[in-house]
Amino acid sequence: MKTKKTFISIFTLCIALLLTACSTKEAPEASDTKLDDLYQQENQLFADHDDEWNKVFGMMNKSTADPSGNYADYLADTIEANKTSFTDDELKILADDIETIRKIEEQIAEIGNTASDNSDPKNDSKDESPFKNFSGQDFDGNAVDESLFSENAVTVVNFWFTGCKPCVAELSKLNELNDTLQSMGGEVIGINTETFDGNEAAIKEAAAILESQKAEYRNLSVNSASDAGKYASGIMAFPTTILVDRNGNIVGKPVLGGIDNQDNYDALMDQIQSVIDADSANK
Amino acid sequence: MDKKKKLRSKKTAGIRGWIQAAATLLTNIHIPNLFKGKIYQGNAKAVCVPGLNCYSCPAAAGACPIGAFQAVVGSSGFKFSYYVTGFFILLGVTLGRFICGFLCPFGWFQDLLHKIPGVKFSTARLKPLRYLKYIILIVFVILLPMLITNSVGMGDPFFCKYICPQGVLEGAIPLSLGNAAIRSALGKLFSFKCLILVTVVILSILFYRPFCKWICPLGAIYSLFNKISFLDIKVENSKCIGCSQCSKACKMDIDVCKTPNHPECIRCGDCIKACPKDAIHYRFMGKESIRLHQVNDKNHF
Repeated sequence: MKTKKTFISIFTLCIALLLTACSTKEAPEASDTKLDDLYQQENQLFADHDDEWNKVFGMMNKSTADPSGNYADYLADTIEANKTSFTDDELKILADDIETIRKIEEQIAEIGNTASDNSDPKNDSKDESPFKNFSGQDFDGNAVDESLFSENAVTVVNFWFTGCKPCVAELSKLNELNDTLQSMGGEVIGINTETFDGNEAAIKEAAAILESQKAEYRNLSVNSASDAGKYASGIMAFPTTILVDRNGNIVGKPVLGGIDNQDNYDALMDQIQSVIDADSANK
Repeated sequence: MDKKKKLRSKKTAGIRGWIQAAATLLTNIHIPNLFKGKIYQGNAKAVCVPGLNCYSCPAAAGACPIGAFQAVVGSSGFKFSYYVTGFFILLGVTLGRFICGFLCPFGWFQDLLHKIPGVKFSTARLKPLRYLKYIILIVFVILLPMLITNSVGMGDPFFCKYICPQGVLEGAIPLSLGNAAIRSALGKLFSFKCLILVTVVILSILFYRPFCKWICPLGAIYSLFNKISFLDIKVENSKCIGCSQCSKACKMDIDVCKTPNHPECIRCGDCIKACPKDAIHYRFMGKESIRLHQVNDKNHF
């Protein structure tokens, strides 16, 4: 009886330790989601008055952009310099939005300060994107490298494997997305984790599945020991879809689950739009 | 010699909790992974563990046999899981539901929950519910993954996806705690399965092993082998005084004297411990029957 009691208490202790160990990870996450939320609010403003804002973004040029400066000021300056191209109504809408953005930017700056105070070495290592030095080959054997990303404002990278039912279910939707993106300056590529290291049999199988789902966008086989291969092996839930910008950086949050689900599709499209916007703003 | 055997049976039953703990630890040996939110993906994952232990538990050393069975049946390349079925037969014939009582992590989890003091209810009147697990086995583990498929012949692992509370406990909860991306992807299905887990937890406190008795398809498979498995329980009629202490002690509602190898018996050994005459013991490969056989042979010559 006594042994049983000690046993139960040790077990409870282990569970308690387990839970506390996990919960300490929550803190930096919380600021992450808040930050995300704030950016989301900004993007919502741009989306609400997209006619006006697209006009503004069209006038921006990279040489005047000052990354350390206040973003709201930067927007205001751009509008000020091109005042004549806007109607009074448009100017009023933009001015209102800029005030809201100014407030959001202040909050973002605050979070940024606290976050950099307790940044851990783990975050630093994340800075190096696994797609900076990229190499792989498509299913026809043609070699590709990181120039794949530099050709487009945004590259949608979908990780999947052949035996994954939800992955296969979204293939046709990804193909549609690829068609849509072509006109917007984007591309969809697939990385099948079974086709690592040019595995012939797996590539054949994957190609057959792709064909059956009428998916014609590029799929790549990467080296399992490469950074991209390691990144793919670390993914714990399939399908996972991420966005890579022109410079090979992963941007935004990975989308888990098939984009044949409308919520996932919308979330991905929002992120794609903001990457394309950021890209054109940097030009 | 005989006394020694009984003593060994009693001892085995006495340290059951520790054996369960050791089995749980061994089948979930990659403990650091729990904090990383990453699943161990080595070669050992191609092998099944005996108990119900989710493949997606970050610490899991092997695959869950029920999960593996559905994955193969539901894949486009195979129509039936021959390898996993062979595994079931091998383990069923050697150990039977001894696995439920001694090796299954989810069985241990329910045992521990049942130790929480409070009102306890008997399941003796709920015996018909025992058949539910066979229906779950046939419908959710075999038929649905085999028959409900997409255009390329892939099915869903219906039991894992819609029922299994062990998947939530060992897979979804630790993975989502350690992995922000997965946490953000949790939806209605996760809530639904959490509800199942909470129900099983509450029922386990009130009843003894409700999941094993009524739901578990793995227990259902092993139960089919209980009558013929190498490891069984023997009641020596010469010593039995018919006091019914064994049946009273049995939490799986079995009349031990009549049917010591009933499909519901999980070999927990409570009857062995309860017997005042030491008339009940574990037996492997029916040693007595072998001896009898040799005697017969001698007579023959």
